[in-house]
Amino acid sequence: MSRHALSVLVENNPGVLARVSVLFARRSFNIDHLVVGPTEDPKVSRMTIVVNVDAEQLHKVTSQLDKLIEVIHIEEIEDAAAIREKLWEINDNGPRPVGAMAAAWG
Amino acid sequence: MSTVTRTQASQTDRPTPLTGAETLVSTLERVGVEHIFGLPGGCVLPLYDALYGSTSLRHILVRHEQGAGHAAQGYAAATGKVGVCMATSGPGATNLVTPLADANMDSVPMVAITGNVPSAAIGSDAFQEADIRSITMPVTKHSFLVTNPNEIAATVRSAFHLASTGRPGPVLVDVSKDALAALIDPANAVDVPMRGYHPVTVPPPEAIRDAVELMLSARQPVLYVGGGTIRAEAHREVLELAELTGIPVVTTLMARGAFPDSHPQHLGMPGMHGTVAAVASLQKSDLLICLGARFDDRVTGARDSFAPHAKVIHADIDESEIGKNRSVDVGLHGDAKITIAALISEFTHRISKGAAPDYNEWVDNCVRWKAKYPAGYDTPPDGSLAPQYVIERLGQIAGPDAIYTSGVGQHQMWASQYVKYERPRAWLNSGGLGTMGYAVPAAMGAKIGCPDSTVWAIDGDGCFQMTNQELATCAVEGIPIKVAIINNAALGMVRQWQTLFYAKRYSASHVDQMQVPDFVTLAQAYGCVGMRCDKPADVDSTIEAAMEINDQPVVVDFRVHQDAMVWPMVPSGTSNDAIQYARDLAPNFDDE
Repeated sequence: MSRHALSVLVENNPGVLARVSVLFARRSFNIDHLVVGPTEDPKVSRMTIVVNVDAEQLHKVTSQLDKLIEVIHIEEIEDAAAIREKLWEINDNGPRPVGAMAAAWG
Repeated sequence: MSTVTRTQASQTDRPTPLTGAETLVSTLERVGVEHIFGLPGGCVLPLYDALYGSTSLRHILVRHEQGAGHAAQGYAAATGKVGVCMATSGPGATNLVTPLADANMDSVPMVAITGNVPSAAIGSDAFQEADIRSITMPVTKHSFLVTNPNEIAATVRSAFHLASTGRPGPVLVDVSKDALAALIDPANAVDVPMRGYHPVTVPPPEAIRDAVELMLSARQPVLYVGGGTIRAEAHREVLELAELTGIPVVTTLMARGAFPDSHPQHLGMPGMHGTVAAVASLQKSDLLICLGARFDDRVTGARDSFAPHAKVIHADIDESEIGKNRSVDVGLHGDAKITIAALISEFTHRISKGAAPDYNEWVDNCVRWKAKYPAGYDTPPDGSLAPQYVIERLGQIAGPDAIYTSGVGQHQMWASQYVKYERPRAWLNSGGLGTMGYAVPAAMGAKIGCPDSTVWAIDGDGCFQMTNQELATCAVEGIPIKVAIINNAALGMVRQWQTLFYAKRYSASHVDQMQVPDFVTLAQAYGCVGMRCDKPADVDSTIEAAMEINDQPVVVDFRVHQDAMVWPMVPSGTSNDAIQYARDLAPNFDDE
């Protein structure tokens, strides 16, 4: 088991957060942290999801996520610094909750 | 003359504005829908008003929305087209949840359209309001909520595209009543982008090469064929690959008919109630070539001891299935028809270059198991009717061109074992979700889709009582299905487990011996012909009499022996190696 951060681009539709969280619940994957924010394209949002899983489970969670019609793109963020950077990037107007997540990544 | 021209021009320039509901109906017509199973209610009334004017859409009024959903599934499974069902908001929509979940498990292409309360009332706990878009999230391929009338056309088109491409599945389109009633503005039609949806159909050539390499070096391979091959219309390719390679074939519950039962390479169905030969071949195999199947627990038994020596090639249209339940050596992500054709071509190429795989000893073993452990049952000593006999005779008399649907339980297993399937789409059942009550409405949908085929619902007395109200629909709408109730006055599979694992403590599995309701008079009350048969000598004549009736639905109440059990059996949660051919009788593979 290790920490993995997924950067997930999704359609900015009502209900998309519910859909992603229903999937995690349904497949018994636990979300450590989750942040949703806008991107430069108003029709697209970015979810940063941190999960604590082994490599096999990580593959399963990403391939299940990829099946969601509203999920456009998934990429694993490679290192902690990048995660911290991305966390700040996605919500630089409201640093406190994101700051907590960033702190979790040292 | 010029006046006429002007009038025509002005009609073209300014067409009568359509309502959202009218747009929905014309979109359904444009995507090729011919039949809709549904039941109206307040919020979906604008849509029903628009349907009233349609000449090309036939709406079949069901008696319960669950019936509409299973009918759409039966229609889709029998024809390969997208099945369509319709319901109103709240309870109408929630009654569709079971068929949607069922279609999701069995990859059935289906679109469900529901009306919802007006958008201003959504979220207010209005009368007959249910958040069906969210409720169906985990049990559909996708679910839409539309409140903008200009989004209706594109959403419906997307729903049909999603349902029928990639891994087929159910899609829900929930439309608020005000969006149905409002006039649309074609100039402001809203598109539904699906940037994240790109189904992959062609597996990479290097994966095909790796797969064939494994096939050539294997000594004990098995083609493990699943329902995906039927959805992908790949049965001809399955036959060609099997005959090209000589590799033995097993067909799962969802794939019965994907490969002819009469074929000498066919070992039967694997799994909990599979044939000894099929189960043993998987257990002793050194290579499973899994085509459109998903290593379901009913096939694998205890997973850690399933096919312990086998490498795995797994071909699936859904990448998330590859490696989900069993780790694989080669994954082939793509459409079954394209994938199998590629395997055939690469295998042929390698043979022409001198490759000479040798499966002879293995095939001999498999054929020997098949001969030594055929399907069989005991005739009840008291002269009463064996359920297996009824189903066997039904299959022989109605033949391989008929369509058979079933409910869930003992009769389902016997129908998969004792009817011989020679073609795909002849066997429709609820494999994944295991929904009691599937048989009658699914038969109704299949008969609408294939009016020239004889359609038999093989049902249990427990299952039959869950959805038999659709007999009224069949009688009124002129849908002459035939129903064989395998009536043992018990919830047979529950009783079998209680016999085997719960010391015959028949808790809540015994149905009253008074036989209430009387199925013969019930059938008559529904405008159907009702018949009864309780003697082996009368089975053929009863089935033949039912086969003669083509202008009315027929229900036959077969009173069968209560203690009959489904064999072979792998007890739940145990290894496939623990398969029992009959009670307390394990097959012996050592005397070879």
